[in-house]
Amino acid sequence: MSSTASRTNTFGVVPPRPALSLDHLGFAIAVLIGVALFAAPFATYRATRIASGEARLLIEALPIAMAAALVLVALGVAIGAVLVRDPLSRLGSAVIGLAVLLPSLGLSAGYLTPADNTFARVSPSLGFWLLSLAFSLLAVDALARMRLGPYGRLTALAVGVSALALLLLSGIWDDLSILREYYTRADSFWREARQHLLLASGSMAAACLLGVPLGIVSHRLRTLRIAVMQGLSIVQTVPSIALFGLLMAPLGAIAASVPLAAALGIKGIGAAPAFIALFLYALLPIVANTIAGLSQVPSAVVDAARGMGMSARQRLVDVEMPLALPVILAGIRIVLVQNFGLATVAALIGGGGFGTFVFQGIGQTAIDLVLLGAIPTVALSFAASIVLDALVDLSKGTPA
Amino acid sequence: MTPASFVRLTALLVLAAFIAMPQVFAFLFEPLIAPGAPAIYNQGSLLVLTLQHLRTVCLATMVSTVLAVALGIFVTRPAGAEFLPLSRSLVNIGQTFPPIAVLAIAVPLVGFGEKPTFIALFLYGLLPIFENTLTGLTQVPSPTLEAARGMGMNARQRLVQVELPLALPVILAGIRLSVIISLGTATIGSTVAAKGLGEVIIAGLQSNNIAFVLQGGLVVALLAVLIHDGLVLVERVAARRLGGSLNEVS
Amino acid sequence: MIEIDRLTKRYGATLVVDDVSFAVEEGTLAVVVGTSGAGKSTLLRMINRLVEPSAGRVLIDGEDTRAIPEDELRHRIGYVIQGYGLFPHRNVADNIATVPRLLRWDSKKVAQRVEELLDLFQLEPAEFAHKFPHELSGGQQQRVGVARALAARPALLLMDEPFGALDAVIRSKAQDDLLAIQRRLGTTIVLVTHDMNEAFRLGDRIAVMDQARLLQYATPAELLMRPADDFVERLVGSAERPFRLLSLIRVQEALEPGHAEGEPIAASESLHDALSRLLWTGRKALPVADASGALIGQVSVGGILQRGRPLP
Repeated sequence: MSSTASRTNTFGVVPPRPALSLDHLGFAIAVLIGVALFAAPFATYRATRIASGEARLLIEALPIAMAAALVLVALGVAIGAVLVRDPLSRLGSAVIGLAVLLPSLGLSAGYLTPADNTFARVSPSLGFWLLSLAFSLLAVDALARMRLGPYGRLTALAVGVSALALLLLSGIWDDLSILREYYTRADSFWREARQHLLLASGSMAAACLLGVPLGIVSHRLRTLRIAVMQGLSIVQTVPSIALFGLLMAPLGAIAASVPLAAALGIKGIGAAPAFIALFLYALLPIVANTIAGLSQVPSAVVDAARGMGMSARQRLVDVEMPLALPVILAGIRIVLVQNFGLATVAALIGGGGFGTFVFQGIGQTAIDLVLLGAIPTVALSFAASIVLDALVDLSKGTPA
Repeated sequence: MTPASFVRLTALLVLAAFIAMPQVFAFLFEPLIAPGAPAIYNQGSLLVLTLQHLRTVCLATMVSTVLAVALGIFVTRPAGAEFLPLSRSLVNIGQTFPPIAVLAIAVPLVGFGEKPTFIALFLYGLLPIFENTLTGLTQVPSPTLEAARGMGMNARQRLVQVELPLALPVILAGIRLSVIISLGTATIGSTVAAKGLGEVIIAGLQSNNIAFVLQGGLVVALLAVLIHDGLVLVERVAARRLGGSLNEVS
Repeated sequence: MIEIDRLTKRYGATLVVDDVSFAVEEGTLAVVVGTSGAGKSTLLRMINRLVEPSAGRVLIDGEDTRAIPEDELRHRIGYVIQGYGLFPHRNVADNIATVPRLLRWDSKKVAQRVEELLDLFQLEPAEFAHKFPHELSGGQQQRVGVARALAARPALLLMDEPFGALDAVIRSKAQDDLLAIQRRLGTTIVLVTHDMNEAFRLGDRIAVMDQARLLQYATPAELLMRPADDFVERLVGSAERPFRLLSLIRVQEALEPGHAEGEPIAASESLHDALSRLLWTGRKALPVADASGALIGQVSVGGILQRGRPLP
C-alpha cells in the first residue's frame, strides 16, 4: 500500500521495475569478477624490492586446492550478484568473498616466496585488486541500499576495523611486500603516524578554538562576516604546497630574529609551517558552518527563548549552539578528512607524517613504500568520515 | 570600477609581468638568499612552466568533465538508476582519498612524468563534477519535469532543453572546484617530474633557496585565486544568459 | 468529444482507478471532483498517457489514444498542473512557445501566436514577454501556465488543480477568466479539483469520484437534486444545497410580470445574486432588465424560494 501511495503521489517518472530483469550493477560486478579470475594476474613476484615484477596467475600463485576454492567462491558471489536482489544477502556474499580473498593473498605470498629468502617480494596484482574492488562494490552498494542508521554504520566500521586488525595481527599477511616494508621501519612508521595524527587533529582543534567563536561573532556582525569569509576563501583556493612555501619565508624570518620562537621549534621548514597551513585551511569550513548552523536556527525558537527571559548568553549556550551543532560537526568532518589528506604534503617541507613514506617511495620507485604511506592515510580519512557522519546524524536525532 | 575588481586587475597585471620578466623583480627576493645564490628561478622559463601547468590542468579537466557529466546523466536515467546509490557512495569514499595518494599510486603503474599527474588530476577531478552533475540533475523541480513530459517533450528534449540548462550553474561550480584542486595537485606533480610550477618550489626546497620557494608559491597562489575568480564570473554570466539564450524568436 | 471507456489503473494489488467511463461533449467543461487519493489525477494523467492505463481506453473524436505516439498525443493536448511547472530558465514568451517549437512552427508564426496569447490573457507583451517566471505574481504565473498549454491550439485541455495555489480573490477572477476564454475558444476542458464550489462554478458536468470509482457523472443541478448516494449528498453539502441550486438558475427563469421599485437586476444574473440583493435591501421584489437595459418584469422572494428545492 505504501509503495503504491508514493507512486501515485509523486510524479511517476521512473517506471516500476519489471519483476524479472537482469541486475545491471550485479552484471557489471560479475564481469569484473570474471576478468579478475581468468584474465588478470593475481600476484606479482619480484626477486628484490626494486626489481621489475613477474606476473603470477591465480593457479600459479596459490596451491591448487586453495585456487579452486577461491574461484568457486568468487563465481558464487558473481552469480549471486546477478540473481539476488536482497541487500542483506548481497552484503553477506560480499563479506564471504572478502573473507576468502584476503587471507588467500597472504597464503599466496608465503607460497610464492622461496624459503629463507628475505629479498624476494610478493605484492597483490591486478586480479587481486579487481576481485577486492568487485566484492567491495557489492558490499558498498548493499550497505547504501540498507540505509543503515548511525549506530549501524559505526558497527559496520568497527567490524571492518577488527577484521583488518585480526588479519594483520594473525601474521597471515607477514610475507606480503608491504608488511616487509613495514617491519624494516616499524619504529619510524609509528613515529610518523603520531606526527600525522598530531598535525591533522591538532590543527583542527586549534581551528575549532578560534573558528567557532569567530563564527559566532561573524554571525552577528555582517561586515566582519563578509571580510572573514572572503579572506578565508582566498586562503582555501591557494594550493597546499604553495601555502607551505609562502609560510616558510616569514617563519624563517621570525626564527632568525626571535630566539624564543626558535627555541619553541618555530622555523621555516618542518612541522610549524605545515601546522599553520593546515590550521588556515581548516578555518573556512569551521567558520562557514558555524555561521550557517546559527543562521538556520528558526527565529521563532530564539524569540521564544527571549520571551522566556533567557539572557543572550543563555540563548546562545542553551538554544542556538545545540541547534547549530549538527552543521558545525559537518564542518569538522570536512576539516578532518581534508587535513588527513593534506598532512601528507607536509612531508615535502620536512613536516613528517605518512607523506614521508609516500615521497620516499616515489623517490625510490618503490610502490610498497608509497602504499605504506598512502593506505593508512586513506584508512584514517575514511574512518574519520564515517565516525563524524554518524556523529552528525546522532546530534540531529537527540538534541542536547 | 569596484575596489575588488581593481585589486584583481592589479594582481593579474603583476602576475603577468612577473611571469614574463621575472628578472625585473629580482631586487625583491635578494634579501632572502644566501650570498651568491640566484634570486630568480634560473632552471627554466617561468612562462613556459606556467603554460605547461595550465595545459595539464585544462586537458585533465576537459576529460574529467566529459566523462563525469556523461556518467551523471547516465545514473539519473531510468537505465542507469541501479547504479545511483553505489555511485553516490563511491563519490563519498573517493573524496576521502587525498590527491597526493592517487598521484603516488599512479607513479609505479605508469612511470614518472606527465602521465601520473594527468591520471591523478583526471581521476580526482571527476569527483566534484560528477557529484555536482548529480545534484544539479536531481534537484530539477518535479512539477517542471512533469510539465515538460505533459507537453510531449521526449526524454532527449527534456534532458537538453530542461534538465541540463537548469543544472548548468551547479555543474559549472563543480568544474570550478575540480580546476582548483587540479591546480594544487599539478603543483605536487612536480615531485614526480611533471613539468609545471611546482618545479620552482621543489627546486627551492632542494637547494634551500627560500626565494625560489616564495616566488613559486606566489605564482601558483595568484594563479589559483585569479582562475577561481574568473570561473565564478563565468558561472554568473552563464546563469544570467541561461534565461536569454532561447530568445531569438520573440 | 472525449470518451473515457472503462478506464482502470492498478498498481500491484491496489486499484487506483476502477472501471471509470464517461464522455465529455465538444466545447464543454467537465470537472472531476473528489477527496484526495480518490484517483482523480491518475484518471486525468491517463488521458494524455502520462500514466498508462491497466485496462480500458480513451477516445478523442473517436480515435483511440493508444494509436497515437505518446509525444504526439501530448502535443495535441494542453496540460496545466498545480504549481504550473513553468520553466524557470525561460522567459514568459519562450515558455509559451514551448510546444509550437517542439512542433517546429516557423519562428514568425510562433512569435505571432505568443503575442496573441499574451493579449488574450491580459499580459501586456512589451512588459511580460521577457520576464522570467520568478518575476511574476502567482496569478500571472497561472495565466502563463494556461497560455502555454493553449499555445498549439489543442482541442482538449487537461487541468489538475490549476487554481490550487492562488488566494481566494485571485482564484475567483482566474475562474471567471478561464470560463470566458473557454467560451471564446470553444476548447474542451477536463479539470480536476477537490473544491466543490469550484466544481459547481465551472463544470458543465461534474464527475464525482471516491476510492477509485466514479460515483456519479451529471450536470450540477442533477447532482444537487438527485445525488446518486449518501457520499455524493454529503460532498455536495446538504446545508449549502439550496444556495448552490439558486446560483445555477438565471433570473430569466423566475421572471414574473410586474413592476417592482429599485435598481433593476440583469436577467442573466443568478437567482443567488437576486436573493442576496433582496435580503440586503429588505425589498420583496426587484425589477428585471434585459441585455439592452429595458425592464421586462420582476423577480420576487417568493418566486425565488420556490426554486430553492428539488422540483417534484
